[in-house]
Amino acid sequence: MAQNADIFFERDSWRGPLTWSAVLHCALFGGLVAYSVVIGGFRGNNWGSNGAGDGAMSATLVSTVPLPASPVVSRNVLANESKGLTQSIEQKVEPPPPDAIPIPEREAKPKPQKQIATATHTKPVQTQPIEQPTNAVPYGQGGPVSSMYGFSAGAAKGGFGFSSGGGGDFGSRYGWYVDVVRRKVSENWLKYEVDPRVGNAQRCFVTFDITRSGEPTNVRLEQSSGVPSLDLSAQRALQRIDSFGPLPADYSGSKVSVEFWFDYQR
Amino acid sequence: MKRFLSIIGLLLLLVTALGAQQDWIRTGTGLGVERVRLAVPDFKSTGADAQAAPLLKVFNDTLWYDLDHAGIFDLVSKSFYPLQAPGTPQDMKLEVWSSPPPSAAMVAFGNLAVTGQDVTVQGWLYDVKNTATPQVLGKQYREAASSENARLIAHRFADEIIFRLGGGIQGIAESKIFFVSARTKHKEVWAMDYDGSNQHAITHLNSISLSPRISPDGSRIAFTSFARGGVDLMMYSLDLGRVIAFPRFGGTNLSPAWAPDGTKLAFSSSRTTDPEIYIVDSAGAGLMRVTSSKGPDVSPVWNPKTGAQIAWVSGRTGLPQIYIMEADGTNAQRITEEGYAVSPAWSPNGQFLVFSWIRHYGPGAPGAQDIYLMDIASRRWVQLTHDGGRNDFPSWAPDGRHIVFESSRSGSLQIWTMLADGTQQQQLTTTGSNTQPNWSWK
Repeated sequence: MAQNADIFFERDSWRGPLTWSAVLHCALFGGLVAYSVVIGGFRGNNWGSNGAGDGAMSATLVSTVPLPASPVVSRNVLANESKGLTQSIEQKVEPPPPDAIPIPEREAKPKPQKQIATATHTKPVQTQPIEQPTNAVPYGQGGPVSSMYGFSAGAAKGGFGFSSGGGGDFGSRYGWYVDVVRRKVSENWLKYEVDPRVGNAQRCFVTFDITRSGEPTNVRLEQSSGVPSLDLSAQRALQRIDSFGPLPADYSGSKVSVEFWFDYQR
Repeated sequence: MKRFLSIIGLLLLLVTALGAQQDWIRTGTGLGVERVRLAVPDFKSTGADAQAAPLLKVFNDTLWYDLDHAGIFDLVSKSFYPLQAPGTPQDMKLEVWSSPPPSAAMVAFGNLAVTGQDVTVQGWLYDVKNTATPQVLGKQYREAASSENARLIAHRFADEIIFRLGGGIQGIAESKIFFVSARTKHKEVWAMDYDGSNQHAITHLNSISLSPRISPDGSRIAFTSFARGGVDLMMYSLDLGRVIAFPRFGGTNLSPAWAPDGTKLAFSSSRTTDPEIYIVDSAGAGLMRVTSSKGPDVSPVWNPKTGAQIAWVSGRTGLPQIYIMEADGTNAQRITEEGYAVSPAWSPNGQFLVFSWIRHYGPGAPGAQDIYLMDIASRRWVQLTHDGGRNDFPSWAPDGRHIVFESSRSGSLQIWTMLADGTQQQQLTTTGSNTQPNWSWK
């Protein structure tokens, strides 16, 4: 009888769900297209100081690119003070025969040794301790290849000029806060933490977030300079800072991200 | 249809979430870290009250002094200012201030009015290079009309500016300095504002009181006194205005130091004949000895950041040297290697020690006693004073940027302050002999 009809015979129609699925996919695709075309302009603004010469990056066309000389001074790798891998063989001094008698005239007269006057004040002088890193590579004996001419500090006349962010209308609004961040990080960067043998290094990039209350969080090394002690000193500069002061009261966001570079020159 | 609409709504949410991206700051070193060029034109008087003129002068002088001594501003000389000083934002002409001769980056301006019994001050801080939204700060203060309150309002407005432009630096304009003065023939504990004004005596024991140390909450002063016969610690309550009970431990008890949470005191006691460092709680109970070497151990100070380390002076190897240990007495390390080093003071961020050091001590050595600053992690040091005389007893300001100390360079022992890099040295006291300063915690 039809009263106990099996539920497996009551097939659902596939048409409805399939239509919904098609509509959903079309809407998703349309939304992404609309975002990239129409609303893509709403992305976050750059902050920057409102000083002269702003603009995120400017490229000038020149006929020839005058590459600056390598900032790393390479010494002659063939004639340096390194002892190398070979070991010199000790030369044996032959003892004189047992019956040899020295000629008295040939014997040099021993010169009277002059007494060196000893200083009366011989207290030890406490000198500044010099860090001796164990893993640094000295110059002239290998190390990273010097490249990235466009980004080395002061090489702005050819190739690229890389200025302090700036540009967006948002940046010009809180230029004073950007100055605060720059000053505070620079004050807390102790350059003597960098290996004293390093004369010049590539730019090191560190990114971090500033919370509403002004604390730096999420500090990470974005791009290494190739000198471990410089990377470490840059991150330590951020770790020393407790607060940059609260974000401007009329700023609506909950945090600000910062990309900070460190140029090192001895 | 409802489902369709909800899906569209979800998509719109997704798109707006993607659109509200993070704001970025891209900046770096090598762009110059010159000080902020700040112009501070005199505030305008808006009321017709005759009382306003003296208050306005006090206010303007105090505000200028506070900002000048903050160490983060380059104040534009008043001779460069335009003739019309702004009193309200409507009077403010940004381009006049941002271009030469003032060439200021920031301008602090406002007005003062006396209405009835009250003085009202409105103050603004403008970023004059930013024509669209120049206002960084806008404040209004209202207090009973008096010279002290005019100073107080100026201090508060200056602290507000320093906090904003200094990147969260707590201003010190309302902090106090406690010191020992012998100007009444007896050595008593005195107090003054950070700029040397409002000097007044705290204790009147007609004896010898030494090494005053203010508690972190600012309610009590621990000091060494000869008033009870021996050399003992005493406690003075600023709330009650009198000496409160504190036990005697026997022997000579010197140089108390508050732990940063205010619950404990470290001090030096010779109750077992050899001066050693002891710790007691703030009521004087629970005495605990933390050093046990032969030779005197004196002048303890806590690490204000952690409260877990103590720096002190020990003579265990002959001449006094600075040492650091954990607060339970373990892991003692010597950090000065020569000369005669005394009076350590630990910076509020825990990073530096300042101390008084005669680097070349003994016959034939120059023997100048100067203040030195040492980075504890790297043991590197910098000499802060060079001007001769005896410089001793440094103490840090709560902002970690100023140091107060005593110096004999002017002929008598007086209290001086300086920035922590040794610049802007300034004499605060002139009358009698004034020694052993201690800067309050806030």
